[in-house]
Amino acid sequence: MNRLFPVQDIGSLPKAPWLISYLRGRKPERAELDHLAKWSKLIGFEAEREVETILSEQKTPSTEKRLREFGSLFAVRFLESAGLDYVYDGEENRIEMYEHPIRHSDGFEFYGHVRSFDDRYYRKAACVRKVGFRDAYHLDEFKYVKQIAKRRIKVPVTGPYTLAEWSFNEYYQDRLSRDYDDPRKLKLDAKRDFLLDIAKEIIRPNLRSLVEAGAEWVQIDEPAVSTKPAEVPFFVEAFNECTSGLNCKLSVHVCFSDYRLLYPHILDLRNCSQLALEFANRGQSITLAYEQLNLLNEFDDEREVGLGVADVHVDDIETPEQVRDRINYAVKTLGNAERIFVNPDCGLRTRSWDVAYRKLCNITRGAALARNKIS
Amino acid sequence: MTGAFPRSEALVELTRAAARGKVSENELEDGFRKEVLQLVMLQTEAEIDSVVDGQLNWQDLFRPFSEILTGIRPGSLTRWFDNNTFYRKPTIVEKVRYGGGSLDRYFRHNLLPKDRPRRAVLPGPYTFALLSQNIAYQSFEDLIDDLAHALRDVATKLKIAGYQYLQFNDPSICVSEPSQDQLAAVRQAYEVLAKGMDAKTVLHTYFGDAGSIIEFALDLPTDSIGIDFYATSVDSLSEHDFTKELECGCLDARNSLLETPDGLKKLIVRIQDAVRPKGISVATNCDLDFLPYGVAARKLNLLATAKKIEDG
Repeated sequence: MNRLFPVQDIGSLPKAPWLISYLRGRKPERAELDHLAKWSKLIGFEAEREVETILSEQKTPSTEKRLREFGSLFAVRFLESAGLDYVYDGEENRIEMYEHPIRHSDGFEFYGHVRSFDDRYYRKAACVRKVGFRDAYHLDEFKYVKQIAKRRIKVPVTGPYTLAEWSFNEYYQDRLSRDYDDPRKLKLDAKRDFLLDIAKEIIRPNLRSLVEAGAEWVQIDEPAVSTKPAEVPFFVEAFNECTSGLNCKLSVHVCFSDYRLLYPHILDLRNCSQLALEFANRGQSITLAYEQLNLLNEFDDEREVGLGVADVHVDDIETPEQVRDRINYAVKTLGNAERIFVNPDCGLRTRSWDVAYRKLCNITRGAALARNKIS
Repeated sequence: MTGAFPRSEALVELTRAAARGKVSENELEDGFRKEVLQLVMLQTEAEIDSVVDGQLNWQDLFRPFSEILTGIRPGSLTRWFDNNTFYRKPTIVEKVRYGGGSLDRYFRHNLLPKDRPRRAVLPGPYTFALLSQNIAYQSFEDLIDDLAHALRDVATKLKIAGYQYLQFNDPSICVSEPSQDQLAAVRQAYEVLAKGMDAKTVLHTYFGDAGSIIEFALDLPTDSIGIDFYATSVDSLSEHDFTKELECGCLDARNSLLETPDGLKKLIVRIQDAVRPKGISVATNCDLDFLPYGVAARKLNLLATAKKIEDG
């Protein structure tokens, strides 16, 4: 991939409505079949007829497996059709970025829902035993995408810090509790133990399995990384623990955070060649929204940047010209066009398929405009 | 209890259904009312001294006040301190005041027992002002002053409605390192809020080290201070003459790990010996709504255990 401003996805897409209905044991509604027909034509999805057949049949383990694969295929074709250079499968078969890895690992129990905001909740697990590897939870998914993708692949994997931060830490805290008088120190040290064990016992074997199966690029997703600024060095330690010696490209995705909190610590991330960051959400003024790009210059951080050019929390569609201008601003700020990749701020799973597609298409058009300007 | 309690799994499903338009407002309201009564029962069984309604229908600490007060609109989603929880940043669009409207939707005193002290929770003026987006006031001091007057009016009405404890949640005081000018404004705000109030007033601090502001907090005209001992060094409080009641946040509401009686005893004794407060009551360090319902209920029972330790 030699052209400037390669376009990449960050990870999640909405779930295909016909796949959701099927997995919940419902007959697909007319609107869901229409969705399948419309998008199949638009994105060149070659398995429309097979999907229709499966949807009309009794659900069995083998048809479920097949339909799940078609969910992945659908997302891959969707991203390819929008013109992306790097694709994955929209995480169509992951429950979501936290619960999926936790349910496939040892040491955790789910106690119930906690509120994220308003009437939105997530299931939060407690670590009740030493954590451990149960299965390579992204391996089959990756092998399938590798088999069908026509573009290069980047695999998104939830990082150890986010898994630790979004879980209750019972086992590691209880294990240390007798030795501590100060609950603050106890919590901090127990968090580090918990995090490093997740990195070593869960994430590292998963990454190794992907690399052994041929993954060339893995993106570690760490949306929680700036939640507790004092723990950013722990994140760095955990990243290095789970990635050392792996022979593939590695990057980190962070979003909705004050990136200043990450510096200078993230300069110590070894083997991390790109930071994929959210910016477009920060307002219409390019200067203000992209102000924290300057941190890379300030700290002589010469890594690639995955430049967030589309806001994933609004339905307004960025125009190609807006995308071009954001890229141009980044080129001017960093002084090196070759370091810039282009992407939405984050996964697009909260948008409709239509909005997601229009956003992605305009990102690729904007990247082409920026390329033309340079050449 | 410090205030907010998590929704049960049944209520989670009901609110989700309501958000999808599958249940009516009346059905949802009925669900909230039943759950407040259930929570009252849990508190009675755990022998909690002052009873709360659990703020079950509050979407965040500030949201009710965009309805109760004038001049406030809910804004963008923003992280709630260092949690994986978000609130809508209040946007201050015009002068803030309380017009005297009903508070019953968000303060369920009618469902609380009359034979036990009742506790109402309000946002502290500093945290409210600091975490808002102000596009109406010329200065931070003007905003906090108006917020204090509006909250005083609300608090007065709550006192008349039968609340004996008025708790002001002001975590930013110990998290955000207020400037001297801001501290002066906070002092003035608490003079407005607490002075002459015929109820027990509580400044509740959490998520941060209260040691850094304890001298200032002890000088405010509230009766008690709530301190999060999972964020505060016990030793940092030992050199102060603790002339107020201490609401001792010794149960961790941000971890599902249940404290052991021995561990609690050790911590409470250590706090009593080091801080020597005028009086002490045991509490969670912050709201229990960071936990799933079942775990929160077990922590509530642990409060009874902690109380026996403190009494003994």
